[in-house]
Amino acid sequence: MEHDILVIGTGAPETRGIADALEARMVTLEPGGAAGWRAALDPEPPAATVIVALFHPLHPPEPAVVLDPATWAARSDGPLLDWMVALGGAAALCADGGAILAVVDEVPALDAAGMAPEAGVAEGVAALVRSLALSEGKRGVRANTVSTPFRLMRKPPVLPPPPLAGFPGTFEGDVLESIRLLLSPHAAHFSGHVFPADRGRSW
Amino acid sequence: MVSGTDSHVVLVTGASGGVGRGIAIACGQAGWTVWIAARRAAEGEAVADEVTAAGGAGRFVACDAGDDASVQAAIAAVIARDGQLDGAVHNATSGLSATKHGPLASYGVADMEDQIAVGVRGAWLLARHAFPHLKATGGALLVLTSEAGFEGKAGLPVYAGVKAAQRGFLRALAREWGPEGVRVNGLAPLATTPALVTAFAHDPEMEKRVMGRNPLGRLGDPVRDIGGAARFLLSRESAYVTGHTLMADGGACPVT
Repeated sequence: MEHDILVIGTGAPETRGIADALEARMVTLEPGGAAGWRAALDPEPPAATVIVALFHPLHPPEPAVVLDPATWAARSDGPLLDWMVALGGAAALCADGGAILAVVDEVPALDAAGMAPEAGVAEGVAALVRSLALSEGKRGVRANTVSTPFRLMRKPPVLPPPPLAGFPGTFEGDVLESIRLLLSPHAAHFSGHVFPADRGRSW
Repeated sequence: MVSGTDSHVVLVTGASGGVGRGIAIACGQAGWTVWIAARRAAEGEAVADEVTAAGGAGRFVACDAGDDASVQAAIAAVIARDGQLDGAVHNATSGLSATKHGPLASYGVADMEDQIAVGVRGAWLLARHAFPHLKATGGALLVLTSEAGFEGKAGLPVYAGVKAAQRGFLRALAREWGPEGVRVNGLAPLATTPALVTAFAHDPEMEKRVMGRNPLGRLGDPVRDIGGAARFLLSRESAYVTGHTLMADGGACPVT
């Protein structure tokens, strides 16, 4: 059971990195094809741990009001739908007593100007995972979220600086270690939480 | 009394009933001009009449909150008649949000898409088209979210996700619009509405749970309790408040 981990993603290198680091099996879903994801996930056997790590394509920061509808859909509506479908699939695949973990891009609130779509998606994922913590907790499944700004932060953070050096962190040092922490037996009693792997920038 | 109410013009989406109606009437009580932006004309016209009866000027404009052209046309109608917009309220919610209950895996993609379109995309569309006019008046955008967006909901996960996404969006938007003098806030109500009555009928235990955690021991009145809070966030009295989500829920939600 130690390595009974399933990672769900859309082919991003970070998702592959998570699967490789945890020696997990991986399901790669077709980007933008959420309507067909259920059929792709149904044949998968259950897993003790299911990680959903959807890293969508990055977009330059822009004021929300200048975005055109297609860009809004690509940055907000589409990714949020992807997360809903993928997390629903994760709940169906997670064995009783197991764990669900979402790993999501999130820019800290202080630095969120220009990234309103991504800010919305990240909050949405947190609430979806909390919903899973409530619905799946009845069968012993815990559900948590790791949020990370390491991909989204492309400019110096708004003052004041984050408490710890090294913001916005790294994939190996911040994201992977947060995942390991939350999947460890020491975190067996946590559920419904969001852990910002952001060097203290938000909480 | 609410200060700074001279020539205050606000538009409320989804105001043909429930919380939106309450907000509209409360704004009418302050003497404001209130545009009821909704799909249902008969109900919307009736609420506009209630706004007028309350002391304001009620007007109806047909609007599908999830449709770009429809929202644009609604804002244009406001400007054409009243020449200004001081407040915009995104209250519209997918009709599916109150009728579909179940765990996340039980939802169809079409259900999810509909709730995202009205709740999240609709908030952005209203922001997009209202912004130049709110900038001109130093106005405010208000988004009706929910405690579900803080806590999640076992039986309403898509609704919870949408409401949380609204909160993340408005918080970021507040940072973008602050330098322009436009405020953005959220309001998370718990009120006696047709949707909640339906939910209680669907799940009788839900009423016990909801009331059991509410220290004030009652549901909010859509006009007095929710409308009053919304009016505050739209008025000059909250001129130094932005990026905030106010819980108007009787203290029911322990997560803020």
